[in-house]
Amino acid sequence: MSSRTSVGAKVAMYAVLIFLAALWLFPIGLAVYKSVQVGGWSNYNVVLNSDTFNYWQAIGNSFLMAGASSILIIIASSLAGFAFSKLKFRGRKLLYALLLGCLAVPVAAVVTPLFFSVNSVGLRDSYIGVIIPLAAFNSLMMLLIMKNHFDSVPDEILEAASLDGAGLYRTFVKIMLPLSGPTLATVGTLSFVYSWNEFLLPNLLLRSAEKFPVTQAISLLQFDRMSLEQISQLYAGLILMTIPSLIVYLVAQRYLQAGVTAGAVKS
Amino acid sequence: MMRRIQPYLFVLPVTLLAGVLIYYAIGFTAWASLTDWNGLTEMNFIGLGNYVELYRDPLFWTALRNTLMFLVATIAIQAGLGLLIAVIAKERLRGSNFFKAIFFLPIAMAPAIIATVFKYMLEANYGSVNEALRGLGIIEQSTVIQWLGADLGVWSIIMINVFQWMGFSMMIYYAALMSIPQDLYEAAEIDGAGWWRRLRSITIPSLRGTTSVLVILGIVGALKTFDIVWLTTGGGPGGSTHFLSTLLYEERSNRQAGYSSAIGMVILVIAFVLAMVQIRLANRDGSQR
Repeated sequence: MSSRTSVGAKVAMYAVLIFLAALWLFPIGLAVYKSVQVGGWSNYNVVLNSDTFNYWQAIGNSFLMAGASSILIIIASSLAGFAFSKLKFRGRKLLYALLLGCLAVPVAAVVTPLFFSVNSVGLRDSYIGVIIPLAAFNSLMMLLIMKNHFDSVPDEILEAASLDGAGLYRTFVKIMLPLSGPTLATVGTLSFVYSWNEFLLPNLLLRSAEKFPVTQAISLLQFDRMSLEQISQLYAGLILMTIPSLIVYLVAQRYLQAGVTAGAVKS
Repeated sequence: MMRRIQPYLFVLPVTLLAGVLIYYAIGFTAWASLTDWNGLTEMNFIGLGNYVELYRDPLFWTALRNTLMFLVATIAIQAGLGLLIAVIAKERLRGSNFFKAIFFLPIAMAPAIIATVFKYMLEANYGSVNEALRGLGIIEQSTVIQWLGADLGVWSIIMINVFQWMGFSMMIYYAALMSIPQDLYEAAEIDGAGWWRRLRSITIPSLRGTTSVLVILGIVGALKTFDIVWLTTGGGPGGSTHFLSTLLYEERSNRQAGYSSAIGMVILVIAFVLAMVQIRLANRDGSQR
């Protein structure tokens, strides 16, 4: 098809792409420029050595909460995805429908009970109190992706395993999981990125600055009346806090794209 | 015996984690919305009192209007731009993967960070956008455009969302385009159909299902939208840019737990109804084809 595309059409297409790409790169380029506009590159040093804002702690907190919730999600969604796809049991369809029915429930709609219940079990302002709701709200999309994946694994593999006398758990761990590498990577990457980016749950449930993930730690770099230098330092901090996301993007872009499309193509 | 119980053990973790927590939260919200609860003391049943109050609250209608405006605008703009780029990328121009990577990049970045960058960029007096417009002579030196004000605030938020999520629509359209059989295009080309004709008669009809999925995800996404509003306008000035989610959050912090739960119920009902309508429409389209 491309061979038939006329030169004029190609020029027009490039014009559209370049124009849009410029719009998309503008905020990113501007943030980099602003971060050194007043104070120069030393702004990065200032942010890294700030008294009120601890960069490595924020990164560590995000890493801990996103990592732990992703592990919970991988375990829960792969076990259930396998069962809903390959095992027969009473109430299977109903339970699956009830679970996926929650896919559209926004965290924002239920913040009041979430806060109240996390508070009443004494988990307010704790990592685990954020990790569990994070995993809960992100696990359903991942369940959908895992089930669709197991649907594509032929039933014969399962039958052969049960003829060999392998138990369900063994079949799952020794046969099903090794067949699921890319999907597990997809689910892991997507869960990690979504949890890392979450703002509302930590905002609702955390109070101490030393537990803040990056999305909350931004507030530690903002003050009421900011000088131009402080604004430049804020930009430097924002860029520093984006670096881990960029690394994930570069390393796992393939899985992120796969996850985004896997969740959407079949439902 | 073990064989019969085992499947339930596999689905237990996700059921406990997500199912129980989310259904409990929905039930709690429904109940709390019928009380005068302030989040601390006891809950007194007041029937539909909160909903009556909601009906009379102009802020609620503003938030509802903003949410629906955002929903329609972001879905339309993101689908339109996403489809445009996906169609171009399918032509396999040199460098099209590079462009795709640029548009997809914001998805990996935290909305909280993107929102903060935009907040300072769009600031009325010293923000870079107004400075650039002044520098280019597009607006007067003395002109101050309130990008995050009452008139433009919601549109700025829509723009930020498009920046963040357009790559998502692009990627999904691209995947769908790649799955359209190539021989359809070849046959059409032999019949003398031009590029535009092929786009209209093959590409767009084949993408109906994909568009439908994007609409559902767009509805869910719009109702979830919180951080980019909270961190830019904060719902202000004077509540003019509140979304349902931010109004709820503010009412909750004002110790109006019952009232804010009623807003939560409105969000849940909208999510449910719009998703149902969309699924119904999608199924009808499917059966007609």
